Amino acid sequence: MLIPTLRKEIQLLRRDPRVLVRLIVLPVLFIAIFGYVFNTDNSKQHEARPITVWNGAGGNGELITRALDASQMFAVVPAATARAVEDQVAGHQTAVGLIVPPDFDPMHGHPATLLLDPREPPQVAGPLRGAVVGVVTRAVLREAALPDVVAVRAPIGATSTLDELSSAFQLTVPGNAVLFGFFIALTCALSFAEERRSGTWRRLLASPVSTWQLLFAKLVPYIALGTLQVGLLFAIGAFGFGMPIGGSLPALAVLTVGVACSATALGLLIASLSSTEKQISSLGSVLIMIMGLVGGAMFPRALMPHVMQQVGLFVPHGWALDGYYQLIVGKGTGFADVAKPIAAVYGFAVLFTVIGVRRFRFDQ
Amino acid sequence: MNRDNAGPGQNGAAASDAVLELVGLGKDYGARTAVQAIDLVIRRGEIFGLLGPNGAGKTTTISMACGVVPPSRGTARIAGHDIRSDAFAAKRAIGLVPQDLALYDDLSPRQNLAFFGQLYGLTGAELARRIDWALGVAGLGDRAGDLVKTFSGGMKRRLNLAAGLIHQPTLLVLDEPTVGVDPQSRRHIFDSIRALQARGMTILYTSHYMEEVEELCDRVAIMDAGAVVASGTLAELRAQHGAGGLEVEIDGDGDAIAAAAAAAAPLGGTRTGAVLRFEPRPAYAPALAAIEATGAQIKRIGAQRADLETVFLALTGRGLRDA
Repeated sequence: MLIPTLRKEIQLLRRDPRVLVRLIVLPVLFIAIFGYVFNTDNSKQHEARPITVWNGAGGNGELITRALDASQMFAVVPAATARAVEDQVAGHQTAVGLIVPPDFDPMHGHPATLLLDPREPPQVAGPLRGAVVGVVTRAVLREAALPDVVAVRAPIGATSTLDELSSAFQLTVPGNAVLFGFFIALTCALSFAEERRSGTWRRLLASPVSTWQLLFAKLVPYIALGTLQVGLLFAIGAFGFGMPIGGSLPALAVLTVGVACSATALGLLIASLSSTEKQISSLGSVLIMIMGLVGGAMFPRALMPHVMQQVGLFVPHGWALDGYYQLIVGKGTGFADVAKPIAAVYGFAVLFTVIGVRRFRFDQ
Repeated sequence: MNRDNAGPGQNGAAASDAVLELVGLGKDYGARTAVQAIDLVIRRGEIFGLLGPNGAGKTTTISMACGVVPPSRGTARIAGHDIRSDAFAAKRAIGLVPQDLALYDDLSPRQNLAFFGQLYGLTGAELARRIDWALGVAGLGDRAGDLVKTFSGGMKRRLNLAAGLIHQPTLLVLDEPTVGVDPQSRRHIFDSIRALQARGMTILYTSHYMEEVEELCDRVAIMDAGAVVASGTLAELRAQHGAGGLEVEIDGDGDAIAAAAAAAAPLGGTRTGAVLRFEPRPAYAPALAAIEATGAQIKRIGAQRADLETVFLALTGRGLRDA
């Protein structure tokens, strides 16, 4: 029963290119786009932003330009006059300009002047201003040989996943793998509806196979497909986008099978709550997107308010991503470190299955 | 409780001769009773027709008999196996051909038949042999590799039949197998059914087309409102419930003549254009007298043959297609 059903489901899925697009092509596109947009690997992707500087102050000005260059955030473009800096920023040739006047002496009321292109949106202009002011202030204060005022590090014993990211793909690959991995629920639920609509479900019920065997054989192909899908997305992330994986690969595999089980069981639950393909499509899409959003698949939970971080643990996505981030970012992370997320994800699979089976109308 | 007169002990069928026995089989959906409590025996090698209008309970009855829907009461025995206590053995003996085209459109006929055959434990050379045989029955041997979705409705119907045959069941259950098919495919399906009967297969055929049942079936049960209202051979049913009728073709004011005749013979008078029909027999004389009294010219008088339609009318008080 299992092998013929597995073969049949694969044959059917192969004939439906929409499934391939939904499960593989779309997530790879999302991973690539978001990965390059948020890439944190400075050496490869992050280009320093040009800043036009007129230094009229001699030695003090030199100190500032060297500090700006050394920050790697900015590339200093020298200007011949203060007027030239004004013209370049006003003409949108550069977004940031700095005029260091001959009488530069901030301690006595003669600061440098920062010019920002007014077309820059607030979310860009604000950090730019903060960065330039920070670098310039630090350069000036270092001249006075002051120690570091604030040292940055993670709390002792805590894993600050996002701070330890070495590639944005460590964020976008698990996020999109989990988000799109749960779309297998929709594919699975729709296959139940299609069996019912076409009458093949009736034919299956009339065959000498128990309803448990029938359900098991119907769900296993989707667990296999979901595992393959998420595994493939991680492989593309690792080999195609250079995403480093710091933790245990077997633990990653066990977690991935758990995600596929949980997603497939969600499919059974959706099928048990809806009777037509239309109902399944609308209910399933909304449910999967909301669960993905709450669980941090679209936006990391670590950056959400505390309450939302806790809400994310009510869906399997939140636990799955906690486990994935630990395994991918944390060097040497093993089974013991992700035991809780793994248990939670399998727990959701059991919960969805129990509710789904109780509600499922076998004879309709 | 309605009990069919073809029930156990009443139709003379020996227990060993019975392929399907329905014993007090009934189904409720909440407060609504879909099937009351049916007793029925179908004997080895016969084509048994289950006739009734849409909603009569035919599909629910066969769904219970095939183990698709659990009965609310009673049971069904297929080839001696109880559908409740020995479900797998009972199901192995049944081939269900559902009313829907229960096929995978994105697979070929060969792939469909292979999948359904494997559900019954068929593998390897035996499976391949059965697939070729079933494709031959359906007349689809030359299209075995094409996708089902490219087939006409008639070809799909034939493949639907083949999928129910792949494991060569003792009892083939056909639920409205000719809905929406062209005459050529209907003929092919009928020929296949007769050929299967000749091989010794027992067939339960449900339909609301009485012509099909009259053409194919050895015995018939008529269902209405969830109960079997009559059963037997066609001859038995005609003799018991359908004495035929009188047809009178008239020339004149049809409405006035029909009104006068109906007043004189209120039982069983119907009209189609200029043709008036009367039954039962006691209505003939007063009806003819009433027509003559109007002064209308009678163009033709003839006897109407008793068929399942008239049997159904006599049993339920309404036409099969109006039900």
